[in-house]
Amino acid sequence: MKRFNFYTKSLAFAFAMIVFAPACSDLEEELFDAVTEDNFFRTEEELISALGAAYTSLYGIMSNGGFVCIQEVASDEMVVPTRGPDWGDGGVWTQLHEHTWDPENDKVIGSWNFVFNGVNTCNRLIFQFTELGNPLTDPFIGELQGLRALYYLWGLDTFGNIPIATDFTATEPPAPSSRAEVYAFVEQELLEAIPLVTKDVGGAAYGRVNEMTLRTALAKLYLNAEVYSGSPQWAKAAEQCDIIINSGNFSLEPDYFTNFAADNEGSQENIFAIPYDEVFATGFNLAMQTNHIVSGQATYQLTAQPWNGWCAVEEFVNSYDADDLRKGQPGTEDGPSRVRGNFLWGAQWDASGTVRQMDDNTALSGIDPDGPPITLRTEINELKPNAWREAGARVAKYEFPLGTRPDMNNDFPVFRYADVLLMKAEAQWRQDNGSAEALALVNQVRDRAGIDPFNELTAENLLAERGREMFFELHRRTDQIRFGVWGDAWWAKEAKDECYELFPIPAVQIQSNPRLVQNDCY
Amino acid sequence: MKLKVDYFSKWLLLVLAITFCNFAIAQRTITGTVTDAETGEPLIGANILVAGTSSGTITDFDGTYNLSVPDGATTLDVSYTGYSSQTIEIGSQSTIDIALSAGELLDEVVVTGYGTSKSREVTGSIVSVKEEDFNKGNVNDPTQLLQGKVAGLAIARPGANPNGGFNIRLRGLSTVGASQQPLVVIDGVLGGDLNSVDPNDIASIDVLKDGSAAAIYGTRGASGVILITTKRGEAGSSKVNYSGQLSLESADRLPDVYQGQEYIDAGGTDLGGNVNWFDELLQTGTTQTHNLSLSGGTPTTSYRVSANYRDVEGVAVNTGFNRINVRGNLTQKALNNRLTISMNLASTSSDQNLGFDEAFRYATIFTPTAPVIRDVNNSSYDQWGGYFQVDAFDYFNPVAIIEQNTREQKVKNISSNIRGDYNITNDLVVGMFYSYQRSNRDFGQYISKYSFWGGGLGSNGNAIRENNENQDQLFRLEARYNKSFANNLDFKMQLGYEFQDFAFQGFRAQGGDFLTDAFTYNNLGASLDFDNGLGNVSSYKNTNRLISYFGRINLNFDDRFFATASLRRDGSSRFGADEKWGLFPAVSLGADLARIGNMSSFDQLKLRAGYGVTGQNVDESLLSLQRFGPGSKFYFNGSYVPSYGPVSNANPNLKWETKTDVNVGLDFAFGDYKWTGSLEYYRTNTSDGIFLFPVPVPPNLFPETKLNVGEIENSGLELTLAYNGSLGAGKSYNITLTGSRWFTPTLVTLSDPETGVGIGGFRTGANLGSPGQNNTPLVRLEEGGPLGQFWGLVVDPNNPVKENGEWNFVDVDGDGTQDDIADRAVIGNGFPKYQLGLNTSFNLNNWDFNIFFRGVFGHDLLNTFRAFYEAPGAISGYNVLRSSADIPTLTDQPQFSSRHVEKADFLRLDNMTIGYTLGALPDGFSQIRIYANAQNLFTLTGYQGVNPEPRFVDDSAFGPLAPGIDRRNTYFSSRTFSFGVNLNF
Repeated sequence: MKRFNFYTKSLAFAFAMIVFAPACSDLEEELFDAVTEDNFFRTEEELISALGAAYTSLYGIMSNGGFVCIQEVASDEMVVPTRGPDWGDGGVWTQLHEHTWDPENDKVIGSWNFVFNGVNTCNRLIFQFTELGNPLTDPFIGELQGLRALYYLWGLDTFGNIPIATDFTATEPPAPSSRAEVYAFVEQELLEAIPLVTKDVGGAAYGRVNEMTLRTALAKLYLNAEVYSGSPQWAKAAEQCDIIINSGNFSLEPDYFTNFAADNEGSQENIFAIPYDEVFATGFNLAMQTNHIVSGQATYQLTAQPWNGWCAVEEFVNSYDADDLRKGQPGTEDGPSRVRGNFLWGAQWDASGTVRQMDDNTALSGIDPDGPPITLRTEINELKPNAWREAGARVAKYEFPLGTRPDMNNDFPVFRYADVLLMKAEAQWRQDNGSAEALALVNQVRDRAGIDPFNELTAENLLAERGREMFFELHRRTDQIRFGVWGDAWWAKEAKDECYELFPIPAVQIQSNPRLVQNDCY
Repeated sequence: MKLKVDYFSKWLLLVLAITFCNFAIAQRTITGTVTDAETGEPLIGANILVAGTSSGTITDFDGTYNLSVPDGATTLDVSYTGYSSQTIEIGSQSTIDIALSAGELLDEVVVTGYGTSKSREVTGSIVSVKEEDFNKGNVNDPTQLLQGKVAGLAIARPGANPNGGFNIRLRGLSTVGASQQPLVVIDGVLGGDLNSVDPNDIASIDVLKDGSAAAIYGTRGASGVILITTKRGEAGSSKVNYSGQLSLESADRLPDVYQGQEYIDAGGTDLGGNVNWFDELLQTGTTQTHNLSLSGGTPTTSYRVSANYRDVEGVAVNTGFNRINVRGNLTQKALNNRLTISMNLASTSSDQNLGFDEAFRYATIFTPTAPVIRDVNNSSYDQWGGYFQVDAFDYFNPVAIIEQNTREQKVKNISSNIRGDYNITNDLVVGMFYSYQRSNRDFGQYISKYSFWGGGLGSNGNAIRENNENQDQLFRLEARYNKSFANNLDFKMQLGYEFQDFAFQGFRAQGGDFLTDAFTYNNLGASLDFDNGLGNVSSYKNTNRLISYFGRINLNFDDRFFATASLRRDGSSRFGADEKWGLFPAVSLGADLARIGNMSSFDQLKLRAGYGVTGQNVDESLLSLQRFGPGSKFYFNGSYVPSYGPVSNANPNLKWETKTDVNVGLDFAFGDYKWTGSLEYYRTNTSDGIFLFPVPVPPNLFPETKLNVGEIENSGLELTLAYNGSLGAGKSYNITLTGSRWFTPTLVTLSDPETGVGIGGFRTGANLGSPGQNNTPLVRLEEGGPLGQFWGLVVDPNNPVKENGEWNFVDVDGDGTQDDIADRAVIGNGFPKYQLGLNTSFNLNNWDFNIFFRGVFGHDLLNTFRAFYEAPGAISGYNVLRSSADIPTLTDQPQFSSRHVEKADFLRLDNMTIGYTLGALPDGFSQIRIYANAQNLFTLTGYQGVNPEPRFVDDSAFGPLAPGIDRRNTYFSSRTFSFGVNLNF
């Protein structure tokens, strides 16, 4: 029996060992390379860094996967043809051009995400800053409200019937509102935010939402009010434009291209710009998207091989007078183009302007009508599947300095003074189609472009002038819809139903929020 | 290459010299009979071996033998399948009769995790593979030893990349989003690093297949457990073993593209050269391995030390590694043999030349009429460092890729552990175990200033240096109690506590803009990118901790009824605050009907059934916490400042995936153990599957969260059948068949009904990619449907091209259009359905043969080479597959469709060995064996791609949920011939 006792004791000892062994039952996570709310959002710098997230969401606007695609490639300005093995991408690019997109088109999805990442970040920060109650962040809250309204304006314009989500603590997925309700919401938000944000422009206010930013947004909202809500608001649009014009903050730059230079932050004309940078604020990749695979790299000494994709629709290029300063001149067999313009076409040369660029693989350039010497034609032989490698004029509006990296330094002008002048002109003309003031404003813009003034304004020439002036600034689709020509046929695009004015709600969104309702047509 | 062959010849000469040196040895003869101890019947074909040598014989029809024994031999080893082996002292006798008792197989030791068990007592699904059954030949990775040997275990590597790991899938898909690889336990170290153990040092590998066996490993057991036991020293005379092997390896299948004049005839452009790019990229790979081990011991001390050297050159130029591994173990008994202390130490150092798998893709499509090097007078000569290049998108000279650039890493691994066991009484043992593992990976890559590929040209050279360090410590306390009651009830109980702590850290720097290529990745300070603010630097560190309590009870009643029950409680720091601890129970029962029912025709007929709950831990730390991190820079007051935003959402409910598992099996043996085998059925359900979901913002801060919402069901059948036969004296053979039937797993749900978060019915994913086929999903997840579905447009197989040259897609939904979303359909499944392994081995006196066939059936592969490079019109730009001639009228661009999903069933002569063991040995040697081996001698398959092996993981976000995609950057597969020698002295 003694032995058995020994067993018992031993077993008890073993149990004790096991249960009370190194007492390590601490399962808290240790953080080494991350921060949580427990150790962050304390100092002024940390709070400013939090605000930053609402603005950095803007950088996605020009990316190859998002908003610029649905605004530009779907319009009659731009096209991304399928060039043999390149740019087929499951048909998303040609769908955009032909207006046959569906709820799974990833450019549509990317655009939705662009809008709602922005909205959600603003919501989150308004909530967090309110909770923190730090006086340092008080001025940020109005600014965020204004910025959120800007994101909403884009969502209103492209998807229309979207949920209005402002309460960050809501746990229910939000229900959608009608486009008219969203319109009213954006108007109210802008009006509320305008007195809360700075009146300064430039300097510390550069790249930030200020009063003029929000008034331009409001002008745009009113100008499109008929499309958005069913009731036109031309007078209100004109009123906002007047406030901007009379503020004296802005003026037309003598040279149109100053506004699009790599160092355009000093432009007197840009009202609100996204301050892209090749290192700090990346996401503007136009040099990659549009340039020819061989000559583009040689002409601008790009640090990476460009993608040879995006180009302008020929009819659109031809809508410029030959001597329009905005158009540019083609390169020829004698030398490269010496005149910078919205477009790059013709014979292509290297950076020094002395070496004619050749596509020395005759195998690949074989189908190009001009053969190995690279000659970008404004003509595009077909939308798909075998567009020439050299087809289409390229977008040269934004300066590509020598040595441009994949991410560009040019700040993207979201709102520009010339646009305000044209909006004012249109708002006047809509109310009085003989308005002399309207004609003078349009001719002010034409004059800078070095072309003869109009004698009268018509829907046709007003839309065309807006197109030429505002090319590749993400306004064309909105303008075409407002002028009622969105459903028309153009090159490689058939006439389509009006309902394609709105993009579909992405399928993944409807899956994760069943309360969303798909737009008509889809 | 020449150097290698010279080296090889010398080496072979040395081996031959040793082999044919003969010495006169004095011998005498012993005779006798071998009988069954119970019945007294003679045993035919029993093995009698002079201990420590290879000289031996086999009993004849009357059970008698006649054996020449060298002077100095002291013992005979006598063995017979199904019977316990015996060692007999020779002494001065000339006649020795031997009686053997049945039951050896059933007394074989099986490693069960935290302990061992006799084969007969096992009630879960455990397969034990001993060294003699391992795959032979050019085996550099321990998992390769098991390929095809275990029913239900699939081991595949898409290509023969010497630095590429094997994917291991036990019983199909067992988790939704967590790790799919089984837990590896090396000599008791959980999560042991497979690179730390050389295949030559492994004595046995045991695989815990079902939940009832694996549940004792708790949150890490859901994908099964692989237990590796290394060789140890034994009491007795000291032994020296040397094994050396040389392997020659060549690519076995290549994509079928045009070459030379055929390319021009098919419409390609003549660029003046004639290059077979595969020849430029590929070489005869050579591998040499050397293993030297010393082992021995006394009744109280035993040791084994070994050194392994492997020098591997792959079939692609500039790929391979060079590895040195040393391992030692020492066991010491003390305190009247009550205390046993053992120590293990292993260290591995590997220098790897990783090469560039991208080169395989470009070798396939680069123009065969292009020269490797451009004419020196050409104006583009300098631009690309002399290599011929073409300015096209995604199109590069493959030779330039591998010759201009460098990608290497050094991996160092140390593993050490110490174990102490103390027998408090004869029945009760308490033990303690501590292990420390650490591995370091030093990675370096340099892309030349002149490299067109990889952006080297644009960034003016580009270098990466990266260092990662993983370490973990494990501490364990155990108590084991064994007791036999009333002579027919064996009772075993064990309890344990385990603590494991992991730490990961790393540093990475990348910069370009170099003045010269001379530094490669060794002088990052010379990169101007850092001066210009364009360099990238990052580092990380995270830890996690796992605390466990476990216990197990085993019962054996009279070798008739068996029961096992275990319980583990696991806590992990990775789990959310509300779910820190999980409980994992298991129970299994067995009954040997042969003994219960006195069925004399069966030696064993054990029916067993088990139920177990296992888990799979979250694969990242900090996932349950709301964290913030730096994002893009923000323009504030005229300068760029950091912006900080959320990088995750808090998830206090984050927990392990739970897998419940039912397993029913039948183990049988009959005909005096000539026939053995087992049949098993399993059914598993994995719930709380971890998957990354988009979540609504608000209320979340971050748009994605890993949530426990998935559920999958999985089942299968497994069969193992072996026959041991005799062909007379000294001659025996064995045939083993392993078969697996994997039923395609079902995705029950991937949505949370409460919150609405999830895939809402189905989701497509796994993009095909650039050029031209972005936004092309390949796979569909469908709730309630089978996993592994390929999803895409259907091309009319009889008439793939329309008259206008476009693809002729089937109008699946009948709406009049042929290529919209609704016309996509299920066009295949990437999961295999059957695996077959057939091993035949013969021992014919001194000769041994082994032939192993392996086949996998029922899976489809997406041949991405065809999806991209089969459009005949493209030949003006790049080389295309010859199969493009099947669709000569196509003018459309390449587009993924049902046409590119192929059946990939295959049967392969996977491994063949012929060996010869010298009968007469030089003085001092106890065994000399030479052998030749061939791997992958031929493959029967209808698959048009390079390698029909199943692909278990895709490099897209869908990962293991997108099986079967044969991507273009896959290393080609190979055929290997090896020659080797084993020397024991």
